[in-house]
Amino acid sequence: MKEKGDRRDFLWKLGIGSGVAALGAQTIASMRSLVPNVSYDAPTTVKVGMPNDFPDGLKFLPDERLFVFRQGNTFHAVSAVCTHLGCTVRAEALPQPETKVVAGQSLRLTHRFLCPCHGSKYAGDGTNVSGPAPKPLTWYHLSVALDDGQLVVDLARPVERDFRLTVA
Amino acid sequence: MSTDVPETKAASSGASPEAPGFHFRRLWSWRPVSDRQAGDAVVSNFLLHWFPAKANRVSLSWSYSFWLGTVSAALLLLLVVSGLPLLFLYIPSVERAYASVKDIEYVVTFGSWIRAVHRISAHLMVVAVALHLVRVFLTGAYKNALGGGQKRPWNWVLGVAMLVSTLFLSFTGYLLPWDQLAFWAVTVGTNIASSVPAIGPAIRELLIGGRAIEQPTLIRFYVLHVLFLPGLLGVLFAYHMWRVRKDGGLASADRSALTARRVEQPPSKTKTYTLLGVARGTAPRIRAATLESGEETVNSVSDLTRRAAIVVLGTIALVGILAVFVRSPLEEPANPLITPNPAKAPWYFLWLQEIVTDTTIHLGGITINGAFIGGVVLPGLLITLLIAWPWLDRSPAGATGLWFARTRLRQNLVFLAIVVVILALTVVGTFLRGPYWHFYWPWQPWPELPSKI
Repeated sequence: MKEKGDRRDFLWKLGIGSGVAALGAQTIASMRSLVPNVSYDAPTTVKVGMPNDFPDGLKFLPDERLFVFRQGNTFHAVSAVCTHLGCTVRAEALPQPETKVVAGQSLRLTHRFLCPCHGSKYAGDGTNVSGPAPKPLTWYHLSVALDDGQLVVDLARPVERDFRLTVA
Repeated sequence: MSTDVPETKAASSGASPEAPGFHFRRLWSWRPVSDRQAGDAVVSNFLLHWFPAKANRVSLSWSYSFWLGTVSAALLLLLVVSGLPLLFLYIPSVERAYASVKDIEYVVTFGSWIRAVHRISAHLMVVAVALHLVRVFLTGAYKNALGGGQKRPWNWVLGVAMLVSTLFLSFTGYLLPWDQLAFWAVTVGTNIASSVPAIGPAIRELLIGGRAIEQPTLIRFYVLHVLFLPGLLGVLFAYHMWRVRKDGGLASADRSALTARRVEQPPSKTKTYTLLGVARGTAPRIRAATLESGEETVNSVSDLTRRAAIVVLGTIALVGILAVFVRSPLEEPANPLITPNPAKAPWYFLWLQEIVTDTTIHLGGITINGAFIGGVVLPGLLITLLIAWPWLDRSPAGATGLWFARTRLRQNLVFLAIVVVILALTVVGTFLRGPYWHFYWPWQPWPELPSKI
């Protein structure tokens, strides 16, 4: 007879408990092995070319899924990854470029962006205008490589929309 | 072959076949010559083990169940059988997956036919399983009319789980060719998972095995498709079948039991407790209803087995012939650089694509992504509602196993309204969406768009 709180009951619970604990730990171990410890993904800091090779206006870099804008000697980079579900948006040239003040800085807008998957629309500065996109396209940090002077984009470093890189 | 088996057996056990107490069981016989052989057949034949000895007449009718569950099972069988050769031919590597599917389609002898059988069965299975669910709902077949150990609501829950498994199998299946459809479907599908607050990004990383869609992603979805999900569906299928037996067959049998004329049963001269005794009605009876009588029931062999064979063989024939004429598409190889425009999911997910498009909510300063509302919350609610429905249904037992029971009118209308909305969204997504997911009437031409960005 097992009675609540006696030795037999305690050992019974201990047995069941350790069985459950062992099963749980092994399940967690198996699941954990599926979470990668090393990323073999492409690096997030990428050299994208000499600043002077960029045309005035927009250049799309498919590998980085990135739009690089040039206006004279200032540069900025806007992600082409739709903030809704991650499709690559397409740029559409505006009939008339317009100038707008974005985050305290004046910005010449030459394009707008459209997503082919669910129809989100973004203005030239990345602001989500219509469709399901919940937030603006991300702007990324640009710098000049110290060794060869190429433009370097840091895809792990989002920046505010007043960011500009001026190349001397 | 069967004649020398008893001898070897007898030799090995040291007893002759005629020895007292020795009872050799042949596998089974279609034409039993004795009661004992018939009894052995019932025990050792899998089909007779699966089916009851006697079946309710209404549950065999074409117009009650449309045999949609059997059709689904036949398609599952076809998918497993056609999947086996594909398993030898397909290579789950991002470099070679597309080429191997292309080889299956254009190089392998009968390859395109086998792939077409697999693909057509998959599409039809989504249809058959969904229609089966609609049939079970509209006939109130998830209700326990008799009680006494019946757990039909639980079997309904198993059925919902099987529908979801079927959809996941389809999803993981169309990723494997690693074409444009595949790549962008994984992108969108895993970003839906990623939209869950807090844990979403971790779930996505676990699903795709990293932060980018690469080799670890393909191998994960491959293992899900060929091992994990079929295994799950197989277990659920067996459980589903077992519960149908435990619950006393289709719900129409409950109805027959409720409405059967109660007639005084003549006491039988010989009583036997064997399975055959139950089948022949010589076992002692507990109920006075005439369920065992010829008016309500028929012998499973051959009335049930014949129809099951017609349905299964008919399904196989239909798919086999369709697969000769309908070719399976293969899009361009996966290209992470270009999203197709428009990028459409397969037809059975277009209602979801339509929902994630329309459900981004701006409330004051807060924006909730449609990916979360339309991709996670609404489907989750829908599945929860389906699962909970049998416990919300308060209709009387008489509404069990009857098409469009008057007492279930309101819930049938609510259910049909949901079905109609899903169908309407599917139609919109399929026929009325063009480039950039803009709305176009079918007769409106799509604009010419530059292919380069």
